[in-house]
Amino acid sequence: MTRQVPLVLCFLFGIVMILTEFVPHSRSQGLYQGIVNWSLIISPFALVLAVATLIQTHWTRISRHTEHWQYSYVVFIGIIIMVLIGVPTFLNNVSFLSKIGLSFGPKSPIFEWLFNNVQVPMDATMFSLLAFFIASAAYRAFRARTFEATLLLITALIVMMGNVPIGDLIWNTVMAWTPWDDVTSTARQWILDNPNLSARRGIILGVSLGVISQSIRIILGIERSYLGGD
Amino acid sequence: MEVFGIWVAAFLTFCIYSFLYRDNPFYRFAEHLFIGLAVGYGIVITIHQGLIPLAWNPLWQAITGEGEASRWGLLNLIPICIGLLFFARLSRRHSWLIRYPLAILIGVGSGIAIPNVLQADIFAQTHGTLTPFSQIGRLSAFEIFGAILMVIGVICTLTYFFFSVEHQGAIAGISKIGIAFLMIGFGSAFGNTVMGRVALLIQRVDFLLNNWLGTLF
Repeated sequence: MTRQVPLVLCFLFGIVMILTEFVPHSRSQGLYQGIVNWSLIISPFALVLAVATLIQTHWTRISRHTEHWQYSYVVFIGIIIMVLIGVPTFLNNVSFLSKIGLSFGPKSPIFEWLFNNVQVPMDATMFSLLAFFIASAAYRAFRARTFEATLLLITALIVMMGNVPIGDLIWNTVMAWTPWDDVTSTARQWILDNPNLSARRGIILGVSLGVISQSIRIILGIERSYLGGD
Repeated sequence: MEVFGIWVAAFLTFCIYSFLYRDNPFYRFAEHLFIGLAVGYGIVITIHQGLIPLAWNPLWQAITGEGEASRWGLLNLIPICIGLLFFARLSRRHSWLIRYPLAILIGVGSGIAIPNVLQADIFAQTHGTLTPFSQIGRLSAFEIFGAILMVIGVICTLTYFFFSVEHQGAIAGISKIGIAFLMIGFGSAFGNTVMGRVALLIQRVDFLLNNWLGTLF
């Protein structure tokens, strides 16, 4: 009951999705769409898992007073503020709240203000921070000790220089006396369209074969790790 | 309110950049606030773009008879009940019930993946690799070289990932060429990533110099 039924459900839903994909009859397509809609209804509930784990982790940090436990309150405050402003759209009908200028839901000005002035800047800054760490990591990784590292270094340099106008300017200034001036952007595009794309295609084909074999294993009940222990 | 928003954004930007000096309370505050807001935003969007339009609205319309919904909308109770089983995670005794929705989602995902991956990735990528040879009469010598290089690159890369055969002799040689192609691929990805991050950095510095300092002077 605890393991067999989920395995049967997984098999049934998996097989039905494969078969209906190949049967163009309207009823088959209706069944396919119906199951897709069902899974679209079920999947948002999976957020419960993620949120419960996050809350559990931070609650444990607070209760055990581990290092920097105070900041876990900031996580909770962030979640509560967004949820309180973004979820209860029914409160827009309360005249008192409307009168004092409070509105709720994802289109509420307060929610949009928080998104535009707090979340988006922090998101961009966090990712831009990586520019510094990538530079220091590149210094360590790119010391061209082997043929492969040299290849990686040269490709990265060409792609970076070809991406910005200053790359062309530097190349043209340095290489003005050779017949190869004005080639950085062309070289970058050729690398992206040929050797880079062939490596990517190799990876995509390998990953796709892996996805198919793993999916078959899951549907047939050979792969059961998603069921967990016990 | 707009100026206040710029100041808040600038303060949080400085908080995060302070990490470049070393880990400090300002950075930790911004980091935790970012996690909290991002999770909260995810919850709001999931509820408003997933649960309400797909589950709640059809169900409510089926119950009240409003709109174009039929009594079939009541069938949405089944996936809602299955989805609610995710809450079993909160009880140790009943946590095994979570396997039901998980099994259905994984089964549906696997069932969708097999034909779609076959079509979108394997067939499409193979087609893209071989298509230039169908137009070989119209290609320049350089383009033909590119097309041949593409096939060699794909075969060598795949050989590198083929672990069913020991990499010795010819296979080892081919897989070495595969590594070279992979390095070019990783180098390109690295170059593009660096440029993307630098573009974000420029955008943040531009914000601080023009938007934030613009409120002062």
